[in-house]
Amino acid sequence: MTLANLRQSVSDWIFRARVPEVAPVTLVQRRIFILPTRQGYVFAFTLMLLLIASINYTLSLGFLLTFLLAAMGGVAMLHTWRNLAHLKLRPGRSDPVFAGEMARFGVSVETPSRARFAVAMRRRGDEAEVVDVETGNLAGVHLTVPARRRGRLDCGRVEIFTRYPVGFFHAWSYFDFGQSVIVYPRPDPLAGLPPMHSRNESEEGIPIPGDDEFNLLRPYRPGDPPRQIAWKALARGQDLLTKEFNATASSELWLDWEQTRANDAEARLSALAHWVMESERLGQSYGLRLPGTSIAPGRGDAHRAHCLEALALFGDPRPQ
Amino acid sequence: MNAVVVAPTLDMRNVMWLLAAMTFVVAPHMERAPLWVAAFCACAVGWRGWIAWSALRFPPRWLVIAITLGASAAIFLSYGRLLGRDAGVTLLIVMVAMKLLEMRTQREVVLCVYLGFFLVMTNFLFSQSIPLGIYLLACVWLFVATLVGFHRTARPPTIRERLVPAAALLAQALPLMAVLFLLFPRVQGPLWALPQDARAGLSGLSDSMTPGTISQLIQSEALAFRVQFEEKIPPFETLYWRGPVLWSFDGRTWKMPEFSPAGNLDYPRTARPVRYSITMEPHGKHWVFALDVPGSLPPGVAVRFDQRLHSVRPIDARIRYDMTSYLDYRLGSRLPPMLRDFALRFDETRNPRTVALGRQWAAETPDKAALVNRAFQYFNREFTYTLEPPLLGDRDPYDEFLFTTKRGFCEHYAGAFALLMRAAGVPSRVVTGYQGGEINPFNNELIVRQADAHAWTEIWLDDRGWVRLDPTAAVSPLRVEGGVNAALGPIGAFSSFLAADKLGVLSSLRYGWHMLNSQWDQWIVGYNTDRQRQLFSRFGLGSADWRSLLLWLVAGTLVVGIAIGLGLLLRDMPRRGEASLTAWRRYCAKLAASGLARAPHEGPLDYLARVSAARPELAPQAEAITHSYVQARYGGGATREELRELRQRVRAFRVA
Repeated sequence: MTLANLRQSVSDWIFRARVPEVAPVTLVQRRIFILPTRQGYVFAFTLMLLLIASINYTLSLGFLLTFLLAAMGGVAMLHTWRNLAHLKLRPGRSDPVFAGEMARFGVSVETPSRARFAVAMRRRGDEAEVVDVETGNLAGVHLTVPARRRGRLDCGRVEIFTRYPVGFFHAWSYFDFGQSVIVYPRPDPLAGLPPMHSRNESEEGIPIPGDDEFNLLRPYRPGDPPRQIAWKALARGQDLLTKEFNATASSELWLDWEQTRANDAEARLSALAHWVMESERLGQSYGLRLPGTSIAPGRGDAHRAHCLEALALFGDPRPQ
Repeated sequence: MNAVVVAPTLDMRNVMWLLAAMTFVVAPHMERAPLWVAAFCACAVGWRGWIAWSALRFPPRWLVIAITLGASAAIFLSYGRLLGRDAGVTLLIVMVAMKLLEMRTQREVVLCVYLGFFLVMTNFLFSQSIPLGIYLLACVWLFVATLVGFHRTARPPTIRERLVPAAALLAQALPLMAVLFLLFPRVQGPLWALPQDARAGLSGLSDSMTPGTISQLIQSEALAFRVQFEEKIPPFETLYWRGPVLWSFDGRTWKMPEFSPAGNLDYPRTARPVRYSITMEPHGKHWVFALDVPGSLPPGVAVRFDQRLHSVRPIDARIRYDMTSYLDYRLGSRLPPMLRDFALRFDETRNPRTVALGRQWAAETPDKAALVNRAFQYFNREFTYTLEPPLLGDRDPYDEFLFTTKRGFCEHYAGAFALLMRAAGVPSRVVTGYQGGEINPFNNELIVRQADAHAWTEIWLDDRGWVRLDPTAAVSPLRVEGGVNAALGPIGAFSSFLAADKLGVLSSLRYGWHMLNSQWDQWIVGYNTDRQRQLFSRFGLGSADWRSLLLWLVAGTLVVGIAIGLGLLLRDMPRRGEASLTAWRRYCAKLAASGLARAPHEGPLDYLARVSAARPELAPQAEAITHSYVQARYGGGATREELRELRQRVRAFRVA
């Protein structure tokens, strides 16, 4: 076991996680730890040298300087600590991502009184994100984590720390909201178009929303895809309108685990993820069949998210 | 709101701040340093600024090393060495300038700021005056502001956002600094041998006197020492501050004797002593001045056989000591033959005319008192007191002075008189020191400057012992009665300006400034082990050994530290309950006491309606309270004034 590992285990043991925590977390006094930084130690060494010089040359103003700086260091400790104290933390939005993308865990910070500066957050081993928290403003921090594998990505314990104002001290605290994001399987473009053979399973002739044929213009609703916005109408000075299309050949499509050509489970999931995306892009209504699960056909963002989540969590013993 | 990744990037503004702080802190040194150093630093700072400004590449390492070596060589050429105070400080400055040129990471910047603190310290080696202290405090502020800027990693701060937190840090550090300064156990330095030039530039009397040495000192307005008398200041013409006593004479130079047996302070005294304390500027020599003649010894000071005070350590730092002196005394009841011989010795072959004159006088005037009178009259008739005496030759300077130039300063008269006396068979010696001083009307302190340096003579009379005679007084009585300015007219343009403004605004300012300086020197610059002890006994804190000092130090630091901490922490404690709510609860409690308790489900307005119906006489009061509460808590909030008003109303609310 290396020294760094040992240190990590000791700190894990000392700062045992109390997870998951109920939001909002307020950084009360006893949650904040503080230790000198390397810069702080060098500063202390500088003070020693200044003191010795003052003694040697009997420089009263040298003593004054040394003591002023020493006292400033002491006060800086209070300031650093205070820069975290009473901060209120809440988990923010964390959207699902595809494997290979960057997952972002949102945390919002709020100060009850003064503005706080250079408040940084980081997961273990990651780069820190720094933010200034102005009074009366909610500052948002996004911790970016590479999502390597599909499934559920836990944010884990986050260190919030600061070295402001002079960097002699490192004040820190930990929090863990038990945040996680769903990581969808990486869509595999080699899987090609989804198999269309099941088209005739559905009834035909009933107009359901689709992409094929222009039907009408209706007022814009949040969430409408940008490519359906009537940009020409907007350019003419009209309100934001959305073009609605009908799918004439509405059809249902079953995306089936068994239909994927791959043998490997992960590859199958990737192929299915690609099909989900493609079907959605084509305006197809689709259902999903996985071993042990089946999702009835449908379409739209919610349906797609539902399907992708099923793919992401396939084989995950944890309840959703 | 935007998050930025912490990276050791050097923001251009931050670098500029550091460069500005460095420039300010080095500036006072440029007065002393050779011109090329100033040019060198300006180039280095400019270059680094340019790199930061236009995101240029740094100079390659070999170039930096080459320049550093070159600059070090130049320092060696300029100073003749690399160590020592002046050369060492210049070397440090050059090194820091070069460090700036290869400063790439945040860690190096922080190191540079720490080096900046060192540069602040180096300034104190040269001066610890009030203006410089204030100036360097501003420099420290700039450095701390630079540090603050470097730790604002999210968004570059504004000038205000740098300066204000830095000022807050320093201001809050001041009380702790005071505690540490007063209570930190002082160790008497130096810890190791100081470089030879550590005290260079100190002026003062030397251990020898040739015609012309003291008149050089007279040009200096520099402070020699300050005296605070316990009672009133003795008459001006008695203020002879005894310094080195010169016995050996080689025809030109009067010197301190090489042998110097210990003496004592037992001599017949006739009057009450004068008590005073002296704050002496460092002069790097061993002598300690006292009013003629000393009656006590400060710690660390011994008396020599000629009543000269000798400090065991050279006076390297400003010291303060209490003294007593007897202005009316009889010095010496008997002169041992060896000393008599010593006090009569001179080189027969030099200054032949002076020696002949002395011998002639002795033959014509056997009475010693008459002899002295004759000499004084001789000086009084034909001689002129001047600060710019003609140069005298090396061989027979006193002949030249007495018979040719006849213009001289105190050292000419004292030396010539002592020689005349020796030639006439009267044992004599030259005493150097200071005479007079300037009284500061603000604190009644006597300021003695190098300009007050003086030399006089002591002769031995068998029935009186050593008697002080000041031949300068014979030439220029004003010198002794009114000081050198009175005798010669004001020295220098500033003094003549002041002379025109006798006791006007300018001199008040000047004396006020002197008083401030005096306090500063006594309590800040001169604060040492003795002062610490004095302070302790004044406050009855017991002995000031390092153990009790340490104890008080810890206690003081804790108390002040906790006070500062609590002050800061209480300020941002979240408010528990609002002021309006507290007042409202009190109001409800008052009503509840008379049986009109508010139901838990009852809103303020419903409650008001019920109260008004039940007790119509309370309605106006209740209405005012309720409405302002509702406004404060559920409406637009309340100002401090409104809250105070609400509280007052509730306090005044009486339910009969």
